[in-house]
Amino acid sequence: MSNELTDAIVGMREDDALAIVGRELDAGVAPTVVLDEAKEAMTVLGKRFECGDAFIPELIMGGEIMKGISELVKPHLRGPGEAAKRGVVVIGTVRGDIHDIGKDVVVLMLDVNGYEVHDLGVDVPTQAFVDAIGRFKPQVVGLSGLLTLAFDSMKATVDAIAAAGLRDRVKIMVGGAPADRQVQEYTGADGWGGDVAAALNLTAQWTGGEA
Amino acid sequence: MAATGEELYKQREQRFNDIVALKRPDRVPIVPHVIHYFATKWQGISNRQAGFDHQAHYDAIRDATVEFGWDFTPTNGMFAADGYAALGTTQLRWPGGDLPDDASFQFVEDEYLKADEYDEFLSDPNGFTLTKIFPRIAGNLQGFAQVPIPPLFWMANTYYLMNVGGALLAAPPIRSALESLLAMSDAVAGYFAADAANAQEMAALGYPRTWGAPVIPAFDVVSDMFRSLRGSTLDMYRHPEQLLATIDLVQEAQIGLAKMVMQITGNPRVFIPMHRGAGGFMSDEQFEKFYWPTFKGLVLAIIEAGGVPNPLFEGDYTPRLKYLAEFPPGKVAGHFDKIDRVKFKEVLGDKMCFWGNVPVSLLCTGTPRQVKDDVKELIDLFGDTGTLMLDSGLGVPDEARPENLHALREAAEEYGVF
Repeated sequence: MSNELTDAIVGMREDDALAIVGRELDAGVAPTVVLDEAKEAMTVLGKRFECGDAFIPELIMGGEIMKGISELVKPHLRGPGEAAKRGVVVIGTVRGDIHDIGKDVVVLMLDVNGYEVHDLGVDVPTQAFVDAIGRFKPQVVGLSGLLTLAFDSMKATVDAIAAAGLRDRVKIMVGGAPADRQVQEYTGADGWGGDVAAALNLTAQWTGGEA
Repeated sequence: MAATGEELYKQREQRFNDIVALKRPDRVPIVPHVIHYFATKWQGISNRQAGFDHQAHYDAIRDATVEFGWDFTPTNGMFAADGYAALGTTQLRWPGGDLPDDASFQFVEDEYLKADEYDEFLSDPNGFTLTKIFPRIAGNLQGFAQVPIPPLFWMANTYYLMNVGGALLAAPPIRSALESLLAMSDAVAGYFAADAANAQEMAALGYPRTWGAPVIPAFDVVSDMFRSLRGSTLDMYRHPEQLLATIDLVQEAQIGLAKMVMQITGNPRVFIPMHRGAGGFMSDEQFEKFYWPTFKGLVLAIIEAGGVPNPLFEGDYTPRLKYLAEFPPGKVAGHFDKIDRVKFKEVLGDKMCFWGNVPVSLLCTGTPRQVKDDVKELIDLFGDTGTLMLDSGLGVPDEARPENLHALREAAEEYGVF
């Protein structure tokens, strides 16, 4: 497998990356192989982020390059050909809060890391989380928020999941700029994260895999 | 004899100035940075009502300032909801608009300037704002996009002003948009009147107001207001030259704005809200290229104009401490959200006072004991120089527990008198 594509993405060379994908597809490289190379690049970026060697811009730009590559690859894909997912995650910004930047980066990175992610959006009512757990059977639920009013919404969501008898079936993480251990304890969640690396680590841990 | 309001005001402002200048004060003051819905919530007033009833809001801020023993009265971070309604703003969602009465107002981040519009914007920022941005941020200003508006310089003579201008102003969509702007202005006038009366009342009671007005760093103006985080991030890779040109254009305006607000408010303290320069949001290389030069320039311009720059370092600025060490010592009132306080003391302890940093989560969900322990830790750390001012990481949180704010004051009195 060529690492040329991976290097181009990690180096944030968008035009090069798209040109390489075009060349590889023309040469008959299997589209799934091309996608795997691209995903490998995102995994490298995720690891660099965790070590403090890459930052939010690399993740956003990397995601954008991935989007471009998917568009190029899509016409070449036959059948679903999806790899088995590493786990299922339901995620959303809690009731009363419409902030989505942090959540969206987490969704992107969970997705490229092989998780099946159900993003419920922003200002998500507690019942919508409960319904999604019943429907998608996730191992992990992510509750995001930026405002201080999110603390009570997160707590209400955890309580509603418990009241529905689903608390033992899921691990719950709370995340966002103001999240910390204090918020985790207050809301009754199982873990907290202030950035995407923490969300990836918790999810890996709770789905029995490596980060 | 008890000090008069005027004496208390002078003492408090002097204490603040001494701490900023790195002189040891008599005690650690509580200087809450900004307030939104806390005071009205505490008095049982809905967030919706707080947005419309400016008098009730300012009275609640006054009462909270006295009740919780603050040394400064926090600046109101909310604006007039009747103004939002007049504009039909689509850039903010607010209680009483399409949000429930107990929600807080929130900014809707979007690409109000598209990536392929940079050149158009840069060649005519005012015309672009009028005909493209206004209609995108306010439903009631759609008229400016519906009728072709010629360049204003066409009307730089009486004949064309009357012919072109007269016809333009007769167009119903333009009239409607102008009426909305006038209604917004009326709403804002009511807000400003209540605001000015509050500043006077608080001064008579002995409380300086924390800051007069905000001035946003150039990069944050472009990222927050024009391009969104995603847009400005992609621009760093795809359109770096246009991004930098826009930052430069904004920078000049922001420095002018800073001088203007100091004059209008009569308050030397200028709040600099910072969003996108925090650790994690960009690499050092990107920070040095896109964020730091104009931010530093703004801070230095405020100092030069005789003001006290008051940057609120939102997020974690621990990785940026080495840059902050470049500021002249004793001139910047930096307010910190999530920074590593021990590291700060090591790197900047002899250059900048320390303000804020009590976790917002602790005030909202912790116990009074936890709050007192945290304040004690801060005072133990900074007690040797005394250059410390107490506040949460982000001003008074809407959801702060009143008993925790009492605990903050008790801790300041118990541990913070030198």
